[in-house]
Amino acid sequence: MTRIIVITSGKGGVGKTTVTANLGMTLAKMGHRVALVDGDFGLRNLDLLLGLENRVVYTAVEVLAGECRLDQALVRDKRQPGLVLLPATQNRKAEMITPNHMKWMIGELAPQFDFVLIDSPAGIEMGFKNAIAAAQEALIVTTPEISAVRDADRVIGLLEASNISPARLIVNRLRPAMVEASEMMSVEDVSEILAIQLIGVVPEDERVITSTNRGEPLVLENNPNSRAAKAFENIAHRLCGEKTPYLDLSVDRGNILTRLRKIFTK
Amino acid sequence: MNADSPSTLPINDQETTDPILATPAQQPKLQIRLKNEDGVVKLILPTEAETPASASWNDLLEQLQQRLQANIRFWQPLAVVHLIAYDRLLDARQLQAINDALSDVSLQLQIVVTSRRQTAVAAATAGYSVTQQLAIDPLVPPSNANLTPLLAEPIYLQMTVRSGMDIRHQGNVIIMGDVNPGGEIFAAGDIIIWGRLRGIAHAGYPNNPQCLIMALQMEPTQLRIADRVARAPETPPPQFEPEIAYITPQGIRIARAVDMKTTPYLRELALPPSLRPD
Ligand SMILES: Nc1ncnc2c1ncn2[C@@H]1O[C@H](COP(=O)(O)OP(=O)(O)OP(=O)(O)O)[C@@H](O)[C@H]1O
Ligand SMILES: [Mg+2]
Repeated sequence: MTRIIVITSGKGGVGKTTVTANLGMTLAKMGHRVALVDGDFGLRNLDLLLGLENRVVYTAVEVLAGECRLDQALVRDKRQPGLVLLPATQNRKAEMITPNHMKWMIGELAPQFDFVLIDSPAGIEMGFKNAIAAAQEALIVTTPEISAVRDADRVIGLLEASNISPARLIVNRLRPAMVEASEMMSVEDVSEILAIQLIGVVPEDERVITSTNRGEPLVLENNPNSRAAKAFENIAHRLCGEKTPYLDLSVDRGNILTRLRKIFTK
Repeated sequence: MNADSPSTLPINDQETTDPILATPAQQPKLQIRLKNEDGVVKLILPTEAETPASASWNDLLEQLQQRLQANIRFWQPLAVVHLIAYDRLLDARQLQAINDALSDVSLQLQIVVTSRRQTAVAAATAGYSVTQQLAIDPLVPPSNANLTPLLAEPIYLQMTVRSGMDIRHQGNVIIMGDVNPGGEIFAAGDIIIWGRLRGIAHAGYPNNPQCLIMALQMEPTQLRIADRVARAPETPPPQFEPEIAYITPQGIRIARAVDMKTTPYLRELALPPSLRPD
C-alpha cells in the first residue's frame, strides 16, 4: 500500500519544504520508492532545495492540461534513484487546479511508489485544500512559537474534519538553550496544546540553511555531527513504524550542576 | 454570597463593550442539529433566515464534518439519515458533499425533507426519497428555540476544540477535551469542559446570568457569562484545579470546585438554569 502523506503547517516558513526534502531523501536512502509532490503552486521551491531546478521540463499543470504524460513530468534524482519529484508551476495556470485534479493525479502516481510526500503551501486557502485532497495522513510542522502553534492547531482541526489521520507532529527549529532559559516553548508545551502524536523534534541547525543553499538536502551525505540530520533520519524511521529513541537535545555545555538541577526539577 | 470569601479568586472584570455582545438582536450563528430519534438520525440544517449572510456553505459543511467526527462513537453503523433542509437551496453537488460526510461515518442519507422545489428536484435526481413540505412562513421561525427560554438538549462533544472552531448551542454544552486558544464556545446554558479551557467560553448567551462555566483547568483567554466579560489573571496560579466561574453582583468570579459544595449559593447555581430558584 502506498502511503500518501501531506506535510503542512498553517504558518509559512516553519520548515515544510525542508522536512519534505530531507524525509524524502532519507526514505529513498532506506530503499523505498518515493515521489515528492510540490503542492506549493505559485511559489514552488522544492525543486530548488533538492537541487533539481535545472532539470524541470514539465510540471503538474502540463500534466493536467494533457500537454504531457505524468511520467514525462517526473524528475528523477540522479544521486538517489529511488526519489522522484513532481514539480509545481509558477505561472498563472496554477489557479485552475482543483482538489479533484490533485486526487486524480496522485491516484495515477501512487501505485509505482511506496511513499508520496506532498509539500503543502502555507495558509488554509485553495492551495492547502489542493495539497490535502489526496492525502491519507499528515505531518504537521511547527516551530515552538505561539503563532505557529496556533496555526498548526487550526490546520489539525481542518484535517480532522477531512478525515485525514493520523496527523503527527514535528517540532522544528528547537533551541534547547532558549527552552532551558524559559525563553522558548518546550516540546511538552507544544504537544500539550496540539494533542497529537509527536514524531520528531528537529533542532535549529545552521547546516540546514547552508545545505538548502547548495541544493543538497542535509541528509544526502552522511553528516554524523549534524543533530538536525539525525533528527530527520529518526523521523523517517519512526514513519516506517520503527521505535527510535529521541535525541538528547539538552544543552551541550551544561555542566554537572545544570544536569543535577534538571534531575531534581523533573 | 460573600464577595470576599477566600474561596473565590477575584479576576479582572469589566462591563462588556463588545458591540457583538451588546446588541441582543444579533443572533448566534445557528447550528446544524443532529438528533437520534428511534434509530433514525435527523440532520437539521438552519433555515436561510437563521443563517447569517457571512456564513458560507463551506462553514456549514465543515461544521457538519466536525460534529459527525466528534460523535463518532455514537453513530450506529448504517443508520438511516433524514435531512431536514427547510427552505435551504441545495444543489446536486452540495447534496453529494453532505452524503460524503455522512458516509465517512457510515451513515446513509435516505430522505430529504425540503420546502424548496429546486432542492426537491436535485434530491430526487440524485436518488433520494423526497418529502416536500409546505413553504415556511418567513416571519415565523421554524423552531421556537429563540422565542422561549427553554433550552435545547445538551450537546456532548468528545473533541479538542481547536483554534478557529466555534461551537454554538442553544443549551448546555459538555466538552470532553481541551478548548485551545482561538477556540470558542457559546452556550445558552452552562459550559462544562472536562479538560483545559484556554480559549473563550461564553455561557448564558446572550443574557442569562445564572449560567456557569466549569473546567478542570481554567486558563481562558476570556470568560463571558451573559453580558459580562472577564479575563484570567495575568499570573496563572501555581497549580491548577477544577474551577467554576459564575456571576456575582461584583462581576464574574471563579471558585474552586471543591469549595462549591460548602457554598449554599453555588449549590443552587449548580442546578440547571431552568430548575434554579429565581
Ligand atoms: N531546523 C532548522 N534549522 C535552521 N534553519 C531551518 C531549519 N528548518 C528550516 N530552516 C530554514 O527556514 C527557512 C524556511 O524553511 P522552509 O522553506 O522549509 O519553510 P516552509 O514551511 O516550506 O516555508 P513556506 O511556507 O514559505 O513554503 C529556510 O531558510 C530553511 O533553511
Ligand atoms: Mg515551502
